Amino acid sequence: MLGPKSKLPALLSLIGALLGLLFASNSTLDYAKHLDRRLHDVHCSFIPGAPATSQAEACRVAMYSPYSALFKEHYWGGIPISLFALGAFAFYTTFAIYLLVHGSHAPRRALRFFGAVSLLPLLASLVMFVISVTKLGSICKTCAGIYLSSLLLAAGGVLAMLSSREDVAGEPRAVVAPIFPLIWLAALGGIALVPAVVYAASAPDERPYLTKCGELKLAKMKNDDFVKLSTLRPIQPTLLFEDPLCPTCKAFHERLVAENIIEKLEINLVLFPLDNECNWMLDQALHPGACILSKAVLCGGVQARSVLEWAYDEQEYLSRAGKQGPDVLRAAIKQRFGDAMLKCVDDRKTDTRLNNHLHFASDNNVPVSTPQMYLGKRRVCDEDTDLGLRFTLGQLAPEVLK
Amino acid sequence: MTQPMTPREAAPKSTLKSPPAGLAALGSGAVLVVGAALAVRLWVSSAAERLTTPEAERPKVAVADQSEVGYCTPQFKQVLERVLHSCGLAEGDSRRGCQPADVKTFASISDDDFNALFTPLKDRGAVVMFDEGEDKLDEKAKKLLEDKWFTRRGARYFFVVARASKTGNQAKNRALSHRRANSVMFHLNEVAQDPEIESKVGLLWLGNEFAQLSRDYCAWPSSRGDVKCDEEAINRSAFVSWVDCRL
Repeated sequence: MLGPKSKLPALLSLIGALLGLLFASNSTLDYAKHLDRRLHDVHCSFIPGAPATSQAEACRVAMYSPYSALFKEHYWGGIPISLFALGAFAFYTTFAIYLLVHGSHAPRRALRFFGAVSLLPLLASLVMFVISVTKLGSICKTCAGIYLSSLLLAAGGVLAMLSSREDVAGEPRAVVAPIFPLIWLAALGGIALVPAVVYAASAPDERPYLTKCGELKLAKMKNDDFVKLSTLRPIQPTLLFEDPLCPTCKAFHERLVAENIIEKLEINLVLFPLDNECNWMLDQALHPGACILSKAVLCGGVQARSVLEWAYDEQEYLSRAGKQGPDVLRAAIKQRFGDAMLKCVDDRKTDTRLNNHLHFASDNNVPVSTPQMYLGKRRVCDEDTDLGLRFTLGQLAPEVLK
Repeated sequence: MTQPMTPREAAPKSTLKSPPAGLAALGSGAVLVVGAALAVRLWVSSAAERLTTPEAERPKVAVADQSEVGYCTPQFKQVLERVLHSCGLAEGDSRRGCQPADVKTFASISDDDFNALFTPLKDRGAVVMFDEGEDKLDEKAKKLLEDKWFTRRGARYFFVVARASKTGNQAKNRALSHRRANSVMFHLNEVAQDPEIESKVGLLWLGNEFAQLSRDYCAWPSSRGDVKCDEEAINRSAFVSWVDCRL
């Protein structure tokens, strides 16, 4: 057992708090950079101070998720929760220094207070960890860095609290008034809020940029051959360009579901597979097999949403199957939906329908990218379909958020 | 007996250490809080500045469009555009197709040059062949026509260039060529079920006065690849192809 003279609890807390401060800073920096509406690399490493990278899918998923920020309807991208972590870890760092300098004379109340509040980041981390695993299906390394920092901090805090039971003979502890824990608690709350308040006060006005990404030239497709995705309370006419094998489309679709937005959209889907087997706009296939799966969605009829969501759920497997060749993909479709579906997929009429979807894209000269979202005829900018989704919808189609 | 007096507890030494610990905490706290606030302010204001500053090298995004392949030379496109305008496709005119005299006028090029323009379409298109004096499509011709029609990909226009015979009466040849072009169009109408087909198909019919095919064209994919082919036979035909040019 550590004695009351041991500096380990305070040191452990200090290291945990400093690491937390670093990871929270990286996370906040990533978020803040995106306020310029451009694409940026993201920090995603267990190594503190490791540079940002483009290979940061899990961290991007976390960043774009509904759980990464608060007040997303009021501020573009919301107020990232990492800001609260940044403030809180600044407080814990300060308190750990206080305990370290005090050493064995540290007031008993201070040690107990610190032990208690040091568990708060760990609790928050546990909640976020559960969300990561159950809702996002991945754990971002920067987030994991914060979880580990919180664990270190909590361990240091608990050890500090335990050390408060003993005194060193001849070295009595300092005494602080009973009001102090309340003052410290208020300070923790206040300091945790400071970065968020500064962020909110200095965030740029993104509203002028929301409507600057163009419009469709032609709103109707021949024969009105859009795929209608069934939703529960469709009130906002929306056009989506998607590719069943595109990971960004999958993430976007999952965001629409998680944000409880999708059920209020009246969705016309345009299939835009990034696969040169059917899409002449590409020299090589970005998503081999996407043409076949797009045809399966077309063949889904009123069940098109189920087929699309199946493709998203099984995207990794289907992407592998697509690379192995069309027959492997056909077998997967047949196994899931039966012979009739496969017959429809192989029907020439389905080829023509898919070709009409691609021509709708080319007639409108839309960017060769997926996903794309149009509210009515107006294109929602790419950055407004991820970080700025709730804010943008709040501005352009507020009824879908009610 | 008097109880010995217990000495008063000495004032804790630690109180002497409180001020340095408190000061250290206050100092570091102030530095950290102000530092965090300044950093956040700096990051956000930098982003805000970039937001209002156009990107020097904005990443180029490809834009969806119809196909445009190598054979779409300016000369080829010029002829095709003339076809579109003269034959009623571009303006949604009710008039359909181009008569032989029109073709000769608007093409403004020699027979050989006209045919050479279509040479790059050898693999994309095919020659649908007819019996002598007939305008009826046989089964192989229908199948070939459908195969070609349903491999549209990124093309916007489908061209049909019908011919009749190298020899014989000019008026009769023109009429036959016209009927052959119409046969192709009727069949396409039937199989395509496309309400916009009129704005996609460009029909040209030639008599024997312009752009007749040489025997070399017997080597092109045709509906009668297994039958003996000569100059007379290859001109009893309709050449059909999607054209992958942006016009």
